[in-house]
Amino acid sequence: MKVLRIIPERCTGCMRCELACSYVQTGTFQPARSVIRVAPFEAHTSYAPYTCPQCAEGWCMTACPVGAITISPVGAKIVLDDQCVGCKLCTIACPYGTIFYNPETQKAFKCDLCGGAPACAEACPTSAIEYVEAETGDWLGVFAATRAARHHEMQVAGAEVG
Amino acid sequence: MATRHVIVGGGTAGLNAIRTIRAYDRGESEVILVSAERPYSRMVLPYYLGRGIAESHVFTATPAHLAQLQVQAHLGRRAASLDTAANCLTLDDGTRIEYDDLLIATGSSAVKAPVPGADSPGVHSFWTLEQARGVVAAIREGSHVVLVGAGFIAFTILNAILALKAKLTIVEIAPQLLPRMIDRTGAEMVEKWLRRHGVAIRTGATLTAIEEAEGRRRLRFREGEDLLADVVLMATGIRTNLEWLNGSAVRVNRGIVVDDHLRSSVGNVYAAGDVAEGLDLVTGQPAVHAIEPTAMEHGRVAGANMAGQDLAYRGSLLMNIVEVCHLDIASFGAWDDPTAEAVAAARPDRWAYRKLLWKGDRLIGAMILGMANDIWTTNDVGMLKGLVQAGNGLGAWKAHLRRHPFDIKPAFIASGTTARLLPETILGRPSVPVGQVM
Ligand SMILES: Cc1cc2nc3c(=O)[nH]c(=O)nc-3n(C[C@H](O)[C@H](O)[C@H](O)COP(=O)(O)OP(=O)(O)OC[C@H]3O[C@@H](n4cnc5c(N)ncnc54)[C@H](O)[C@@H]3O)c2cc1C
Ligand code: SF4
Ligand code: SF4
Repeated sequence: MKVLRIIPERCTGCMRCELACSYVQTGTFQPARSVIRVAPFEAHTSYAPYTCPQCAEGWCMTACPVGAITISPVGAKIVLDDQCVGCKLCTIACPYGTIFYNPETQKAFKCDLCGGAPACAEACPTSAIEYVEAETGDWLGVFAATRAARHHEMQVAGAEVG
Repeated sequence: MATRHVIVGGGTAGLNAIRTIRAYDRGESEVILVSAERPYSRMVLPYYLGRGIAESHVFTATPAHLAQLQVQAHLGRRAASLDTAANCLTLDDGTRIEYDDLLIATGSSAVKAPVPGADSPGVHSFWTLEQARGVVAAIREGSHVVLVGAGFIAFTILNAILALKAKLTIVEIAPQLLPRMIDRTGAEMVEKWLRRHGVAIRTGATLTAIEEAEGRRRLRFREGEDLLADVVLMATGIRTNLEWLNGSAVRVNRGIVVDDHLRSSVGNVYAAGDVAEGLDLVTGQPAVHAIEPTAMEHGRVAGANMAGQDLAYRGSLLMNIVEVCHLDIASFGAWDDPTAEAVAAARPDRWAYRKLLWKGDRLIGAMILGMANDIWTTNDVGMLKGLVQAGNGLGAWKAHLRRHPFDIKPAFIASGTTARLLPETILGRPSVPVGQVM
């Protein structure tokens, strides 16, 4: 299946993916409703987008008491709005923190890969997000760990100099 | 002859077992379901009470679904006794059903506080669909509802009662709200929040009797004033539905003792859900969780093993989340382990509070309070659960989380927790959605 591959080294933190995502998902530009989130690292000197990896277990899907989460034709776990009762069990079951709850509609919402044409990947000017045939993966772990280590070293060095 | 699986109880655990058996064998075996009630989800009942959904929405399988899954269903029938030597189950109407293997998934029932008047009209439990119907008929706009017990289940119906524009008073025998879900500090915050939303609260209140008072109920307490109620809801605890196993060879402790294959002391008898005392993922000790996700996972693992797999279960993670008047309250894992190192932080202006519990550099539990519209609350609930579930040592990130308990994401991502979690599945293969089983 095609997945969102994230290449964090390319991310400049411009947030266009968040805007594009919220626009496609809700019809308005409200990054708070985006299901891809740009996370800052190294004290806001580097960034990387983070979203649902469409994990194999689908903890959100198996936890749902009413079967309101299913797998779409493109392989995304998707919330069926007319089935969701808003119990939030999926938000605590997903161990990646990538399914959300909208208090206005009282429904859960998450990345649905825009039905096979993800807006985030299209909007990213540096191709930090690609929609490609691949195994899903931990795209950010090593990047974030090195950035954090570097930041830590600089802080220590800074403390020694200062 | 085809293998015959008998499932006793058509709730969350039973249905998940049936679907899993069918996901493996596509209809080759014989599956018989015996259930006192039609399959529905108890945890969805509060949304029916609040009129958010129609009654029909609570059902998890209609007779047509069961037929499609090739399940022979005895609905409205109870298991009455089990003869494990003869591999035979007897129902309350005398019907005898022989089995190759059997799953016990009979769940629990509500227990009322043992006070005079607890069984009089106008005093309800809220556990079954039948009881929910009674409560739906009883509460009207302006009714004074007294909720006895302020545990998790009571909290799941709180929003619904308020949505019906009823007046609500909560009475709790313990000195705090949600005594088995959050700590004292969190409970005080929740109490303040609820009072602000017009809910009256009496903690440390021991109910002694319920009397008839001209069509209303008078609640008497050991100390303090009486309360007059139109509707009394008792959410004072549950007990497992195991009385029908009396005299059988199945070993019962706090629940049915099961191994990592969800097998009981009798090799071809499995148990799952509220009735099972299975492994707790965090403590590694046997525990009865009585929560939906545990029932679901138990049911699936038992189903897989009944279908001939050899599947060991890693154990269940205790987790609860409930929203009251747009305040999220969640806890999971060993959130109240007194031997753990606990770090708490509050942001009272944002009604945010959290507590992280550590064993060395591993997170073993957490408690989290926050506004439902604060998007970071949901985000963090999931990631904290992920950190507890993965159980990996967090090294230097522990110091980060101690200093910044509201900044979970960098620690989650940089600790490589995603990479640890991605290969994890309950059945050792990708999950199948409910609607795509057969
Ligand atoms: C109002 C409410 C809200 C809840 N909210 C949550 C929540 O938010 N999160 C959460 O994790 N959990 C919640 N729960 C708990 C959750 O519903 C249970 O943990 C879950 O249903 C357990 O599943 P089970 O399959 O073990 O048992 P059940 O779902 O109780 O199913 C047991 C089945 O067995 C049948 N049965 C009983 N005795 C017999 C017999 N002798 N013979 C044949 N059949 C029998 C019953 O009729 C029933 O169909 C809530 C429960 C209630 C009542
Ligand atoms: S919030 Fe909706 S999708 Fe999530 S578990 Fe509850 S019913 Fe299912
Ligand atoms: S939202 Fe979470 S549990 Fe659901 S598919 Fe995505 S990563 Fe998996």
